[in-house]
Amino acid sequence: MEALQTLAWSDAWYLAPELALAAATLLLAVVDLLLPGRVNRDVIGWGALAGLLVAGVFVGWHLHDLQAAADAGEQPVRNVLGGSYRVDDFGNLLKLVFLGASALILLASLGTVRREDVPIKGEFYYLFLPAVIGAMVMASSGDMITLFIGMELLGITSYVLVGVRKRSGQSGEAAFKYVVTGGTASAFVLYGMSFLYGVTGTTNLTLISQALGTALTEYRALVYVAFFLMIVGFALKLALAPFHAWAPDVYQGAPTPVTAFLAVVAKGAAFAMVYRIFLNTAFFAYADNTEVREDLFLALAVLAAAAMIVGVAGAMKQQNAKRLLALSGVANAGILLVPLTLDVTNLHSSMFSEFIYYLLAYLFMNVGAFAVLTVVSRSSGHEELSAFAGLYHRAPWTAGAMTVLLCSLAGLPVTGGFFGKLFILFGTVQTRSYWLAAILLVTTVVSYYVYFSFIRQMYMRSGETEPPATVPVPSGIVIWLCAAASVALGILPKPILDWINDIFSLSADFLTR
Amino acid sequence: MATVFSQYAWLVPAFPLAAFAILTAFGRGWSRAGAWIATLASLASFALSLIIAIERIVSNAEDYVGGFDWLRAGAVNLTAGYEVTNLTALMLVVVTLVAFLVNLYSLGYMGEDERMTVFFSYVALFTSSMLGLVLADNLMILYVCWELVGVCSFLLIGFWYRKPEARAAAKKAFIVTRVGDLGLLIAILLLFWYMPDHALDFASLHNVFHTQSGIISTSITTLIALLIFVGAVGKSGQFPLHVWLPDAMEGPTPISALIHAATMVAAGVFLVVRTFDIFQASQAALDTVAIVGAFTALFAATIGLAQNDIKRVLAYSTVSQLGYMMLALGVGSTTAAMFHLFTHAFFKALLFLGAGSVIHAIHTQDIREMGGLGSRMKATAWTFGIGVLALSGIPPLSGFWSKDAILSAALEKSPWLFAVGVLTAFFTALYMARLFFLVFTGKARGDAATYARAKDAPWTMTIPLIVLAALAVVSGFVQTPMSGWLGSWLWSGEAKEHAEGVAIVASVAASLLGIYLGWLIYAKGTIRRDAVSSRLPWLVKLLERKYYIDELYELLFVRSLRGLGKALAVFDDVVVDGAVKLAGGAVAGLGRLNTRLQNGQVQTYGLVAVIATVVLVLAIAGRRFW
Repeated sequence: MEALQTLAWSDAWYLAPELALAAATLLLAVVDLLLPGRVNRDVIGWGALAGLLVAGVFVGWHLHDLQAAADAGEQPVRNVLGGSYRVDDFGNLLKLVFLGASALILLASLGTVRREDVPIKGEFYYLFLPAVIGAMVMASSGDMITLFIGMELLGITSYVLVGVRKRSGQSGEAAFKYVVTGGTASAFVLYGMSFLYGVTGTTNLTLISQALGTALTEYRALVYVAFFLMIVGFALKLALAPFHAWAPDVYQGAPTPVTAFLAVVAKGAAFAMVYRIFLNTAFFAYADNTEVREDLFLALAVLAAAAMIVGVAGAMKQQNAKRLLALSGVANAGILLVPLTLDVTNLHSSMFSEFIYYLLAYLFMNVGAFAVLTVVSRSSGHEELSAFAGLYHRAPWTAGAMTVLLCSLAGLPVTGGFFGKLFILFGTVQTRSYWLAAILLVTTVVSYYVYFSFIRQMYMRSGETEPPATVPVPSGIVIWLCAAASVALGILPKPILDWINDIFSLSADFLTR
Repeated sequence: MATVFSQYAWLVPAFPLAAFAILTAFGRGWSRAGAWIATLASLASFALSLIIAIERIVSNAEDYVGGFDWLRAGAVNLTAGYEVTNLTALMLVVVTLVAFLVNLYSLGYMGEDERMTVFFSYVALFTSSMLGLVLADNLMILYVCWELVGVCSFLLIGFWYRKPEARAAAKKAFIVTRVGDLGLLIAILLLFWYMPDHALDFASLHNVFHTQSGIISTSITTLIALLIFVGAVGKSGQFPLHVWLPDAMEGPTPISALIHAATMVAAGVFLVVRTFDIFQASQAALDTVAIVGAFTALFAATIGLAQNDIKRVLAYSTVSQLGYMMLALGVGSTTAAMFHLFTHAFFKALLFLGAGSVIHAIHTQDIREMGGLGSRMKATAWTFGIGVLALSGIPPLSGFWSKDAILSAALEKSPWLFAVGVLTAFFTALYMARLFFLVFTGKARGDAATYARAKDAPWTMTIPLIVLAALAVVSGFVQTPMSGWLGSWLWSGEAKEHAEGVAIVASVAASLLGIYLGWLIYAKGTIRRDAVSSRLPWLVKLLERKYYIDELYELLFVRSLRGLGKALAVFDDVVVDGAVKLAGGAVAGLGRLNTRLQNGQVQTYGLVAVIATVVLVLAIAGRRFW
């Protein structure tokens, strides 16, 4: 292993997106301190949005550079800080997803967050930035330590964000539960990582995969322990059943924009970590010793199946819109995990495209649905399903957009959700994992019932007692962007899939170094 | 030559689609403004279609294919594309022109209806789907549009859904055409299965069935062709699936003109023309088409003799004329079929719109209560008369030329088919003469007050009549025995023009005889009207009841299916519902268990997590260490 490197100026360019966000955070924190109390803190929100966009530009730039490098025949990977940080296509694509989702969430929350709810609006806005840095670090790390630090940065910032409505008991309870569960998850992950370090003697993912061969023959049981502990930790973070019980409580207590953030960005980052660790270490390490590998992926598949079933079953009885969406998130996490659990074969090497396509669809449908929920609950004063009653009569356009988003969530054509599920289903069929395919299909059908409870409320209940819902302009933009993107993903699946395939190559990002 | 305008052909269906979207989104409570938007959109489509057609006529442009890959899954590639050929350009002009005129006409006809905007939005959607059907470059897209057209037809027939007859007619149309659609779907699936690379575009079909025939065995080819024909039979109202078309007259009259005369019912004929390479590869299929067509033509014409509803007479005449087109296809003359489709679109739309004017003026559809309207409604009577003559095939009106082309083609193949064709021409002239004389001449038989108030409709309704009448006169000259321009343009030079002198003489004689006989009976009265019904009452009854086909279907299919339905309902209640309840119960139980664990206590969550960990490790990893 190389000696630890300090940060060189030449490396700073590769960290530009993260550094830009960090600079923006510090700047906004100072501005927030200096601004007199009467100034509307939405300024901070717009500043944070600008920071996200700048970081996004940098990521796009990197993506372009790497593409040029790949065209020139070089490896499209940049190793920074002694290999503990990797700038590659996998990371860059996910970073774009995180940045885009956070930007949409921030935009939707501008003008809907009320001072009585969130007394510290300045912090509320700029705290999103370090959380995104954490997520980006997770997507980009090549070392277990960097991975863990990213996870903690994201985790601790989100604990604060969940509890940001500090006068609300529900918010405090949610924050506390999130801290305890998050701590438990970190403990599991760290414990597993330390075993892995113990049997391989390194924290670098590349070196681990090289050392795993010997480790497997000498300490097979310990390798099992290491990976299973990590799996449990990840399952807690991803809210896979039966480790999901915290999710509805926390989602319900958190301010709705934060809930959307947890559902999309925090979950996506946890997936980034899972993909990094499992694809780097376990997948290709030992073709001759397939037993352990099969077991690990079986465990993941079982968790994915359990999440799909439990998520949908739990959502059926829910009357609270946020808890319902939380449980739908559990089911969706199961679906997102499915591609990873499939064996790589000649026929099937597109798991990443399947994953990112559905993640994109998931991003838009969830951010959009949460934005609608924010608007609706603002006008009705609560977050029960009945808040949607007669929305069609009160705000027909918003009801229309919500219908599109719900169709995507339910996986009806022609929406992104439909094709996302379809591609994943193709994957399961190609690898002959018919039982997963069956569970995916059945839970999807059952989920129609769940999502149509919204539609029933919106169209078939009169909402005459409710006041007409006003939609702030930024929220309206976000809602319609998300609905339009959901439809676009459904109408033009091929160009988007081609684009992902074009950028991402399994071999460059995970196989060779 | 390269084309300039053809590449914008996708705009042609896009205009009415946009109008539909706008009317659906904002149209509530707009009434006339919305109707004008739809009318202008159809005018824009017509203008563009005309430009495309003119460009193709002048410069003899090459075919243009546009579109994009929609979805690629493995080796299967689905494209969403459009193709502009001379054939499609011709259809575009016909459809958009009739659609525009019908829109214009409806401004007057539907002016009083409170759901006017809804009506126009349906018409726009229908126009758009029909144009999509015409432009589609593969069977997949064509099928999608085909179904959309069916849905629109359902919506429009049942537009006055408060009338129980309209509801029943809409349902009947939908279900009966469904039988045909199923045939087409199976044909497409078979083609998908057998075609190399699963290609469904018309260019590949042409390659496989025409250029390098023999890839697909004859028996499969025949099967596919017959199934496609089943689809066409459903849509074009051929025997035995013709029963929906006359009932569809419950819809507003402009719709009868647009859908059930000029465009949608022509979709079946168009489909056969589009896939004609498949039919040509199978003589058996061609013979079937010819026989079904000829039979339908005669069969429907005889029913038309005994109907008393003005629109029903026209409806059976449509069925009969579509039979002519199928006959032309069956004897291998796509030119004659397309030619008749072209001319028929104009004079049949004219007749329906004229009938609409009459209904609009005196509010009844029963021809026994009309009479003498000619003096009160001059414009309508004159234009209607032109339509009658064109349909009867009197030279030099358009119907004569196209009917003659069909009869000549039939005579080449078989004298029997020709004889049926001529007999049909005689009946056609007879029932049209009966219709005209009963409605427009003689004494008024209905309510005197209504009669006194009857007058020609407003200009939005008469202009379409005049335009269509002009077209009914001149549109035949594109293809005469002297010059086969249409045929050579459509199929790029394959003009073989044949006109049989016998055919011309026979068809003109039959038509004149029919009209003369009609005049003797219904205008002059030299032959008593009940001359037949008093001697052969059963024959008139048989025709009036339309050969009891509806009653037969009621007995054969509806009753037996209802019985089967009852049996299935029991199965559904007991077995299926039981399974569903069981599954639902299981899910609900799981949900309850979930709720119990979800008690809000983080300790419980932690405990569950630990137990789950242990179970997971023991179950999956533990088995390796046993």
